[in-house]
Amino acid sequence: MKNSFVELRARERAEALLDDNARELVGPLDNMISPHLEPQGIVPESDDGVVLMRGTINGKNALVISIEGKFQGGGIGEVSGAKIVAALEKALEDNKAGKTIYPVIILDTGGVRLQEANYGLLSISEIQNAVIALKNYVPVIGLVPGRVGSFGGMSITASILSYLIATKKARIALNGPEVIEQEAGVREFDSSDKDLIWNTLGTKQRLATGLVDEVVEDTIDDIKKSVSDAIDAKKDAHRTEKVDFYLSLLDKLDLSKKLDIDGYRKLYSKVEAEKHVIDDAVEGTEPGTKSRGRLWFEKLTGINNAKSSVSTVLHAEKDGKEYVAIVPDANNKFPRVRDGEVGLEEGFAVASIVNKVVADDADKDVKRPIIMVVDVPSQAYGYQEELIGIHVALGSSAAAYAKARQAGHPVIAFIPGDAVSGGFLAHGLQSNRMIALDDTSITIQAMSKASAARITQRTIAELEEATKHVPAMAYDIDNYEKLGALYKLVKGIGSYDATDENVAKINSIIDDAIQSTVGKSADLHFRYETPIAIESGRKATNAVRKAVFEQWD
Amino acid sequence: MEKLHYKFETKNPIQKPVHIGVVASGDLEVIFRPTDSDETVVNIVTGSDGFKEVWKNVLDRFFARYPIQANIEINDFGSTPGVVNLRLTQAMEALKDEK
Repeated sequence: MKNSFVELRARERAEALLDDNARELVGPLDNMISPHLEPQGIVPESDDGVVLMRGTINGKNALVISIEGKFQGGGIGEVSGAKIVAALEKALEDNKAGKTIYPVIILDTGGVRLQEANYGLLSISEIQNAVIALKNYVPVIGLVPGRVGSFGGMSITASILSYLIATKKARIALNGPEVIEQEAGVREFDSSDKDLIWNTLGTKQRLATGLVDEVVEDTIDDIKKSVSDAIDAKKDAHRTEKVDFYLSLLDKLDLSKKLDIDGYRKLYSKVEAEKHVIDDAVEGTEPGTKSRGRLWFEKLTGINNAKSSVSTVLHAEKDGKEYVAIVPDANNKFPRVRDGEVGLEEGFAVASIVNKVVADDADKDVKRPIIMVVDVPSQAYGYQEELIGIHVALGSSAAAYAKARQAGHPVIAFIPGDAVSGGFLAHGLQSNRMIALDDTSITIQAMSKASAARITQRTIAELEEATKHVPAMAYDIDNYEKLGALYKLVKGIGSYDATDENVAKINSIIDDAIQSTVGKSADLHFRYETPIAIESGRKATNAVRKAVFEQWD
Repeated sequence: MEKLHYKFETKNPIQKPVHIGVVASGDLEVIFRPTDSDETVVNIVTGSDGFKEVWKNVLDRFFARYPIQANIEINDFGSTPGVVNLRLTQAMEALKDEK
C-alpha cells in the first residue's frame, strides 16, 4: 500500500515520525545484541529489535522508541528492555532539567520475550516505572500500528501511557487468544475464530470502550499528524486512574451469562463511577482458601481467617506498615481467579487501596511502608477479562505501586509463593526491594511451560533444555537469584513454615529492607546494582545503559 | 541454528559501515564494516541448517561482481538466495549513499 505506516519496519517507522534530523542511539553497529538467544539456538538481531531515535516531531524535541514486531514478535528481552529504560530515564532527566523532550513509543510487541522470560518481566516493570515518572512532566504517547499489535506485559505498559493511538490493523490485549485457549480451554476462547478475535481485541471495539483513544488511517501523514497533535494538546486519558469506574462496572456485571460484545458496550456506556473504599481485612470465623500468601498475610498482620469486602484482596496496617495480599477464593464469583490469579477486580481493588494509602499520607513527612505479600500464580485467563480490558486492571495496580514508591513510600515485595507473569507485574515488580523464600515450591516466570512451549514453537523438553543454559528461562527461585534482582533470598524457611519465630525473622528482614531504602532514590536501580547483577545477572543491562547514556547528547 | 564462516580474496576497501534489513521470517540483516585486513571475512548466523553450499554460491557470485574488502555479519532467519542477494545489493547501494 502506498504511504502505509504499518508496512514499514521499526527503523523506518521512527524515521517517518521524526523530521529530517533523526539520530539513532545504540543502533545495529554498536554490537549490543542479546547474549541469551544464541545459546538457545535462536538467531539474534544487531539492534535486539528496538530502535531508539532522537530528533524533532514538527519542530518539537522528541525521543521515538520503535519496537520491531517482525523480530521475535517484538518481545522484550534484557537488551531491548534496557535500551528502552535507559532512553526513557535520560528523557526524564532532561525534562527534569527543563529541557523538554517528548517520548513516543511505537508498540508492536507480544510482550515479554519468552526466551528471556524473567528479564522481560523485570525490564517491563522498569519501563512502566520510567513512564509513570515521565508523565509528571510530559505526555508519553503510545502508537500501536499493527500487525502484531500490543500484548502481554507491554499492554499493561500501554494502559499506563498518556494517550494511545492505533490503526485498525492492530489488536490490543493482555493474553493472546492461543494462550487463553491453552490455559482455560477452547470454550473459553477459540483461537481459530478470527472474527471473534478481531471483534473483541480489535481497535474498533477498544475505541468504543475506552481502551484506545484514537483510531487513525494507516498512512504516514495521518499517523504523524495524530502523534504531533497529541503532543501539542498534551493529551492524557488517565486510563489507570478510573479505578472507581471499573469497580462500579464490575458491581453491575451479570456473571450468570457470558458477556458479549454488544452487551459490554451497553454496560460500559451506562456505568457511573461510584466511590469505592476497600476496608481493612477483619477476623473471620471460617478459614479462607488455603494459600501461602494468605498464611503469611494472616501471620504478619495477626488477623486470623482474614476476610474483606473483596474476597481475594486483603490489606491491613500493622505496626505502621500497610500489608497487601492477593489470595485465592475457591468460591469466587469470577471463575478465572479462583486459584489466586490477578483478575479485573484484584487489579482495580489493589489500585484503590494503594492510591488511598498515598492520599492519606500525602501531607506526612514519613510515608508508610507498603508490604506486598506475593503469591500470584498468574493473571486471569478469560474471555470476559480480555473484553473488559484486564491489562488496564493490572496497569492500574502497577501504576499505583509505582506512584507510591515515587512519592516516598518504601514498597517491599515479600515472596513466599508464586510470582508469575502479569500477576507479578501488577503485584510485586514495582517494589524497591524483593525478599523471597528459598523454597522449591515457588514458581517465578512469565508463562506456564505448556503455553510458553506453544508460543515459542518448541516442545516442553526443548524448553526445559533451554532453561539449563539461560537462568532467566528457569522457573525456580534459585535461578532467579542469579539475575541479581533480589534484596534477599531467605534460606531455611519454607513457604508454609510461618512459625512465630520465622514470622519474627521475616519481619526483621522486611524492616532492614525498609531501612535500606532511606535516603536512596525511589527508582528501581537497586536491581542493576547488587553484586550479582553487576557481576553477571544484569551485565548486558549495565552495558546497554552505559552506551545509551554516552550517546544521548 | 548454524554458524558459517567464509573468507574471500577481495581488493576494494569500504570506507564506512552500513546496515540493511531485519531478522524477520524469511529475511535477514546484513552489516558491512571497514577492515584493515586484506581479505573479506563473512560471519553468518542462520536459523536454517544445512545450506553451507548454497551460501557459498550466493557469496561467490556477489564478490565476483563487487569485490569489496570488509568485515561482514549476517543474521538470517530463513531467507531464500534471492532475498540474500537483494539485501547484499541494497547494502552496496547504502555504501554509495552520500547521506
